[in-house]
Amino acid sequence: MSEVRCLNCLKRFSVNAGADEAACPYCKTRYRISWPRQDQPKIRGLVEKSR
Amino acid sequence: MVWKRRIAYINLTTGKIISKPIPKQLRQLYLGGRGINMYLLYNHLTPEVDPLSSENILLVGTGLLCGIPALGSGRCDIAAKSPVTGAIGDSNIGGFFAPELRLAGFDHLMISGKAEKPVYLLANDGNIEIHDANHLWGKDTFETQDMIRDDVKDEEVKSLVIGVAGENMVRFANVRTGMKNSAGRTGMGCVMGSKNLKAIAARGTMDIEFSHPDELLDYCKQMNDMITETRWARAQSKWGTLIIYSNTNTTGLIRTRNFQLNRLEKGEDLEPENMDRYTIGMSGCYGCSVHCRHRYVLKEGSYAPIFAEGPEYTSLGAFGTMVDCNKMETVLVANHLVNKYGLDTLETGGLIAWAMELYEKGIIDEKDTAGLKLEWGNEEILFQLITQIAHREGFGNILADGFNTAISKIGKGSEYYAIQIKGMSSLHSDERPTPSLALGICTSTRGADHLRGRPAIDLYGLPQEMLQEIYGAPVSSDYTAYEGKSRMVWWQELLYAVTDAIGTCKFQTVFCAVHAPKWTEFKNLIQLATDMKFTESELMDVGERIYTIERMFNLREGFSRKDDALPERYFKESTPTGLPIAKGKKIDRNGFEKMLDEYYVLHGWDHNGSPKKETLERLGLDKEPSHIV
Amino acid sequence: MQKILFIDPEKCSGCRLCESVCSLHHEKVCNPTRARIHVVKWETSGLYVPMVCQQCENPICEVVCPMRAIKKDEKTGAMLIDYDLCVGCRLCMMFCPLGGINLDAKSGKVLKCDLCNGEPRCVQYCEPQALQYLNATTINLKKRRKAAEKYSELMKKMLATV
Repeated sequence: MSEVRCLNCLKRFSVNAGADEAACPYCKTRYRISWPRQDQPKIRGLVEKSR
Repeated sequence: MVWKRRIAYINLTTGKIISKPIPKQLRQLYLGGRGINMYLLYNHLTPEVDPLSSENILLVGTGLLCGIPALGSGRCDIAAKSPVTGAIGDSNIGGFFAPELRLAGFDHLMISGKAEKPVYLLANDGNIEIHDANHLWGKDTFETQDMIRDDVKDEEVKSLVIGVAGENMVRFANVRTGMKNSAGRTGMGCVMGSKNLKAIAARGTMDIEFSHPDELLDYCKQMNDMITETRWARAQSKWGTLIIYSNTNTTGLIRTRNFQLNRLEKGEDLEPENMDRYTIGMSGCYGCSVHCRHRYVLKEGSYAPIFAEGPEYTSLGAFGTMVDCNKMETVLVANHLVNKYGLDTLETGGLIAWAMELYEKGIIDEKDTAGLKLEWGNEEILFQLITQIAHREGFGNILADGFNTAISKIGKGSEYYAIQIKGMSSLHSDERPTPSLALGICTSTRGADHLRGRPAIDLYGLPQEMLQEIYGAPVSSDYTAYEGKSRMVWWQELLYAVTDAIGTCKFQTVFCAVHAPKWTEFKNLIQLATDMKFTESELMDVGERIYTIERMFNLREGFSRKDDALPERYFKESTPTGLPIAKGKKIDRNGFEKMLDEYYVLHGWDHNGSPKKETLERLGLDKEPSHIV
Repeated sequence: MQKILFIDPEKCSGCRLCESVCSLHHEKVCNPTRARIHVVKWETSGLYVPMVCQQCENPICEVVCPMRAIKKDEKTGAMLIDYDLCVGCRLCMMFCPLGGINLDAKSGKVLKCDLCNGEPRCVQYCEPQALQYLNATTINLKKRRKAAEKYSELMKKMLATV
């Protein structure tokens, strides 16, 4: 369950429990992550380049 | 049994009310809800009547499975000829009205004529009465419901109501029930207003009987578990449909500044997680274990205090991205305003965004808008325009007639900027990177729409084998491709037609969740509830019958292939931003026309989109209008 | 230890699944007016409170019943109506301070929650867990933990500022 689907390359990758950021290992897109449930992450938005 | 439920014919001109049983034959062909409503509309409406004349008919129908403890089975379907498009008018509403109507003994209402003065209907245990509604005229959608409960002296009365927008015959006025639920699209509230019908109330205590109650109860538990175990429902339970924004705005699939950008920059405040600041809890429609609606409170600001429910993803786009407002509070206030007035959120936002772009381009100026500076991101202008539209004041009065009329009044090339199909605004989704979604909004029988045939799971890039299993033939996993996409749209159209006919929630079938109940589960539920037996393919035929009779209605009103058209901008302007997968995309004209050809073939329609003779015969539609009821 | 049907109105989504499940299980039809549980709503302020018999320790219904038709089930603790004895006087309904007893307009019988013989169906279908079937100690601990949360938040803040 602790996976998200990359919105750019559409491949699934796992996210560390409770992490608030994660990068797709395939296309390197970086996302902010939120957790609707403890065991289920979702993509919240992009990590903006300026940060 | 379900067979005891009746259809009532209510003539508001004469005050005459009669009721009849609903023949089982009709149930076999159309099930209920949207299915039977579409049959009635095709059979009883005189072609080419003015939607605002007393000759239009208003249909209210509960789904076949209304009342089962699963899948949000309390959906109600409202239909008429649409004053927005002139095509099929049809809108689906959740909440608690439909079960109450069924408990009162009725599954379908056919309302014709026009009352001399404002009235409301009250259905109660086998009877329907027409009541005076003079004291309700001018009241908002919340007050109206409270006042009816006071009138009847019963807290449990449920009502479908219109607000001032419906009274003023704003073309896209909606019908509402409870705090949250709206039959938003195609202007069914406008039709009620044109008939001087302020509300339809129901209260019932009559048993709803099912064929196999014990087995049905157990199976319903399985259905609820099936949907609540999906990732989609789990996230939706927490943040509602707003979660779609996380995907679409991150990717670049969202209309911003009408149609100028496909992503809202600095859009963090609109992220669903931020609803936690305002939410006091979630709420669910009848029989729903997902509960996707926020109950929210606004304690500060010039419109506070507000208690309201919502907003849906649609409102986030309508009053957020499309008009370039990037504050959640703007969306929350606007959501409350349109709900109070009884305006369709999507159409309202779509028209305002269009007007803002016309203002920016200099096609209209302050002389046209009576002094309003229609600048992007100006929330005060947004709130003012919403209020003007509902009351038909100032520039709002032009928008209140919808795209078709507003385009001809404004002229000057304004049509190019209007993101509408058949005269109805499209959702704030940007379909340029997604051919399947673009096709779906064009073929929708009720005008641009995402709830008629959107294959939303296309966005997940599912494995080819899984797609083949669902759709029954090869479909490309790539959502930017054209191959097999017509099949997805066709298949979803049939599924949604049947979902609306059994009256369960579209979010609890294969819409955004892949592993959700569909044909097999629907077939089983129907058998346990009614003893009617279908195979999966027979159930798909029911969907085909419903969709094709809708098409026949539209053809009779003069619509054809030319109306299944995308706005030109989809072909001409490429998406300027977004992730690599979505950037620089536009729809290929040849690819699109080929999809449309394939789509007609799948339905058994000819090159022009008219059903072929053998299709009509196969579905038994060659005998229509048949006047079974 | 006997369990209690515990109601947490803050979690209730107002979907009324409990009502239809209850009537379908007991009466074999869907009819909220014939259910033993009812979600009382204040729709315009967004408040939903499921109301059901609380199986009181000192049940007034038992005391007022002239036929001694209401008795405690030793296994579940539910107060059960013996319909062979019940004469339908409705005194139980009139005296119950919680509205825990419902009148079935169709049969004329009084209806009350029987805890489904120790497996309450409403609880099984309540996804938000506004209805739970718990033993009394658990409920107390839950309530205490919830009350203590306020203090723990406060303490966290204090520690953070140190």
